[in-house]
Amino acid sequence: MVKYTIKRLILAFFTAFVIVSLTFFLVKMLDFPKPVGQPATQFAYYANQNILGFVMDFTTAQTGYGELLWKYQDTARIWHYFYQTPITTQYFNWIHNIFTKWDWGTSTYIQPNVGVMHIIASKLPYTIRVNIIAVVIAVPIGIGLGVIAALKKNTMTDHIISTVVMIFISIPSFIIITFLMLWLCYQNSWLPSQWPSDMADVATQAKGYIIPVLSLSFGSICGYTRFTRAELTEVMSSDYLLLARTKGLTKSQTVTRHALRNAMVPIVPSILAEFIGILAGSMILEQLYGIPGIGKLYVTSITAKDYNVLLVDMAFFTMIGLAAGVLVDISYGFIDPRIRMGAKK
Amino acid sequence: MEKKNINFTYNDSSKVEQTIVINNDDFDLVQKDTHIHDTKLETKPTTFFKDAMKRFRKNKSSVAGGIILGVIVLLAFILPFALPYEIDAPLTSETFLEPKLFSAGTGWWDGEKAYSQIVYDTVNEVPAGFEKRAVNDVVTTEEGEYYTDTVNEFAYGGDIRFYTDVISENSENTTGTLASYYYAYDLSNDYKVAVNFNENNEKSEYTLGEYRMYFSYLAMGDDFLYSVPKQIELKDYSKDYTDIDIDLTNALIDSGLDSTTKFIEVQQPQIVFELKASTEAKQCILLHSVLVTSDNEAEAEGLDVVSFDDANKALLTTKADSDGQENEGYWTGLRSKTTLNQANIIYADFDYDTYEVKYGEVENQEFGQTLIASYIDKGYMELDLDTYLAIDDPTEADLNALIDSFVILDDACPIRTVDNVTMSNVIGIQVVNVFGTKSLYRSLGYTSAPSFLFGTDSSGHDLLKSTFAGLRISLLLGIITSAICFAFGLVWGSISGYFGGNVDIIMERFCDILGGVPWIVVMTLCIIHLESNLQTFALALCLTGWMGTSARTRTQFYRFKGREYILAARTLGASDTRLIFRHILPNAMGTIITASVLMIPSVIFSEATISYLGLGLTNLNSFGVILSSNQQYIQTHSALIVFPSVIMALLMISFNLFGNGLRDAFNPSLKGSE
Repeated sequence: MVKYTIKRLILAFFTAFVIVSLTFFLVKMLDFPKPVGQPATQFAYYANQNILGFVMDFTTAQTGYGELLWKYQDTARIWHYFYQTPITTQYFNWIHNIFTKWDWGTSTYIQPNVGVMHIIASKLPYTIRVNIIAVVIAVPIGIGLGVIAALKKNTMTDHIISTVVMIFISIPSFIIITFLMLWLCYQNSWLPSQWPSDMADVATQAKGYIIPVLSLSFGSICGYTRFTRAELTEVMSSDYLLLARTKGLTKSQTVTRHALRNAMVPIVPSILAEFIGILAGSMILEQLYGIPGIGKLYVTSITAKDYNVLLVDMAFFTMIGLAAGVLVDISYGFIDPRIRMGAKK
Repeated sequence: MEKKNINFTYNDSSKVEQTIVINNDDFDLVQKDTHIHDTKLETKPTTFFKDAMKRFRKNKSSVAGGIILGVIVLLAFILPFALPYEIDAPLTSETFLEPKLFSAGTGWWDGEKAYSQIVYDTVNEVPAGFEKRAVNDVVTTEEGEYYTDTVNEFAYGGDIRFYTDVISENSENTTGTLASYYYAYDLSNDYKVAVNFNENNEKSEYTLGEYRMYFSYLAMGDDFLYSVPKQIELKDYSKDYTDIDIDLTNALIDSGLDSTTKFIEVQQPQIVFELKASTEAKQCILLHSVLVTSDNEAEAEGLDVVSFDDANKALLTTKADSDGQENEGYWTGLRSKTTLNQANIIYADFDYDTYEVKYGEVENQEFGQTLIASYIDKGYMELDLDTYLAIDDPTEADLNALIDSFVILDDACPIRTVDNVTMSNVIGIQVVNVFGTKSLYRSLGYTSAPSFLFGTDSSGHDLLKSTFAGLRISLLLGIITSAICFAFGLVWGSISGYFGGNVDIIMERFCDILGGVPWIVVMTLCIIHLESNLQTFALALCLTGWMGTSARTRTQFYRFKGREYILAARTLGASDTRLIFRHILPNAMGTIITASVLMIPSVIFSEATISYLGLGLTNLNSFGVILSSNQQYIQTHSALIVFPSVIMALLMISFNLFGNGLRDAFNPSLKGSE
């Protein structure tokens, strides 16, 4: 098991490393992200980039280093001519900075001269708060509905649940958000039509959570219902459950002690993965409802051409996806003794 | 038993040996003259695909999904060509028409927009700013139900709140005045002043203050700026708000003026209200009406400027003049302010027929001579202009004859009736102006009044047509992408699945790494590096999309390559190519094709998502672009977002139903079982 876990982790780390490296080169091949603001601020940015090893600072104009990024005469009347370091050198410097200083780069536009990690850390709480509430609501309801549907298989209840689930799972999230906003914000004005600012009073802020949480949990509830129903139906028709019944256990005993536990084997890892996925959030929801989270940051960084932020945001999304995958694989091992035993052999 | 079995011996019950001799002659061939061969099967043989289709047909919901899907796809390819409306160039005059299915007045989906709480113009009996001919089902509020404190063109009545601000204790200006000039006071006439106050002051911001009333004027020759005006007391300081009736002429004569005085010779003769200011609260009086009357009826109109019985109207006139030269005829003041208090305003709830506004018939429209000439040239109508233009001084009868000569020749003629004609002589040239009813849709070039099922958008485009045209682009993108992914994924998956081993491991690792990149990241990188066009979208979607097909193909290969029939084929010497293409792929095809079909909705979804994030196609109006660009009208014109959303939802649901049905039908583990 330990060997399996380590192997899986190393593989994921390798994958992440390759992807992030590729992304780095692809993003760096774009125009150099130039800062905005006062010359002094810009100079601070370039000086910092020089220290980090992304640009070179010369006192005279140079040829052979490509496009001149910026020139500036500082207070000591010394000229600074900034050129981009070759991308491969930048890459090694970047990796070096990450491992030695945890410096992932500097923003040029969104919050000039602020570390990207700092920006991401400031945006994450919004995303996490909304998503955690959604998951906490969605998991019990979803599993509950799934269990009901499976236990009442082929009855009216099952058909209704399955149809509703099918409909909601098919409709794209942005359509659901649109209709929720139309109904709750515009036709009835019960809720704010935009994410309330941090200055707003507590009641308004609480109301602001309703639409994001609803729209996020619809999809999750439907997913869990369908998953639970499928797993539980399969277990319910198995031979060992029949045996349990013939031994004299009541139906509720067989369901709680045998069926549910076995059905949970694939469900629990997916819940764990969902909790990792919380960090990534829903880009489209944040964009439509104006939540200042990590997904909105991604869109803003593209439109503002703040490529340093974009790069780290991309790396962040990639790693969350991979981490979720690894967690699922490993947790399977912990939950399912068959896999655990199999790995030992 | 004997070896020879021709002769049989046996002992019977009495132990006597018996022998049976069997000769050739004893046997006769039963089917000697009949042909023996396999009989034809009673039932038709079934193939894998037929079997799958049979199963699919039994799944009612999937068939329904398939039909809805088919209809939507068909519409996407037919509607953009079948509908006559323009969807490329902006049509500025036909924006934001409401969806219309039924005729106007049905109450639902009839091209009418419901408005509520719109200020009602009581004079013209129409909600302010709306065309009367298109307004239906007006429900107005009762008089006295709503009041306004803001001067409004369509409000009426109310009081003038004359107030002074809170002053500091050492301020010298302790009073404010409100006055109105009238120059034609002539004491030979009998003037009466009636003032009506409103005591009902509910606003806590103000308190009813102490006021006085006097008549003032500057004698002839007095300096306009520095002289102190002469004041004749009409009412001393008090808080008495009962009605005041003053005989102005008597009061002025009593104060010593000659009864022949004409104020035309003095400056600024005015009735003044003076209000004491306070250090604590804003002081005010509420003047409901001030009426100055004269027994000389010729003066009635002139006295209007110093009288008012409609505060809203009085303030409206003052307001209109306030930015220009100060008009002495209106109520103005010094160190004081006026606002409106509780004017009546009526609001209306009504339905507004958006089609009638843009396409209906408008009466009393003017048509120029050139326009009419062009209509006559086109053969739309007949109007005997030549005859009557030749007449230098046409009489009434001539004009009527001209009106009568109007005949509509073609239904496309925008002029429906001619009601009036004027002729004028401009520098020796006879100019004719025709007034009549104009058909708006005909003048826009339509042959019949248009009716938009989904309404029109901000550019005046038919939403039905543009939605399905957009859907067509998105579907094409989906089909192209899934075709490419299908082809590439199939090859990749086949190689990986068939050969297995190290080849498989290396190819799988590659997929792991590429698959680890979120599609949105791939999409973004592609859009930033290349332009945001259809090719870029297809490329980005293919980059991530093929791995699904490949993984599915690989699984199918693993599933079939160990089967006995493959082993048999291999033993018989079948090549790899033959095994792959003749023996494995046909079996795996159903599942793979189903997955590829299901890629189409996911492509449409991805494209819409990208559009919603603001990175959508820039030069094409795809489905996603239409959806996301209409998002901004969610509050004002919700139909613009509702209709495409419903189509999108329907499309996704039917795709899912159809796809799930196909998947179940193709899953061979279900084969034979019902």
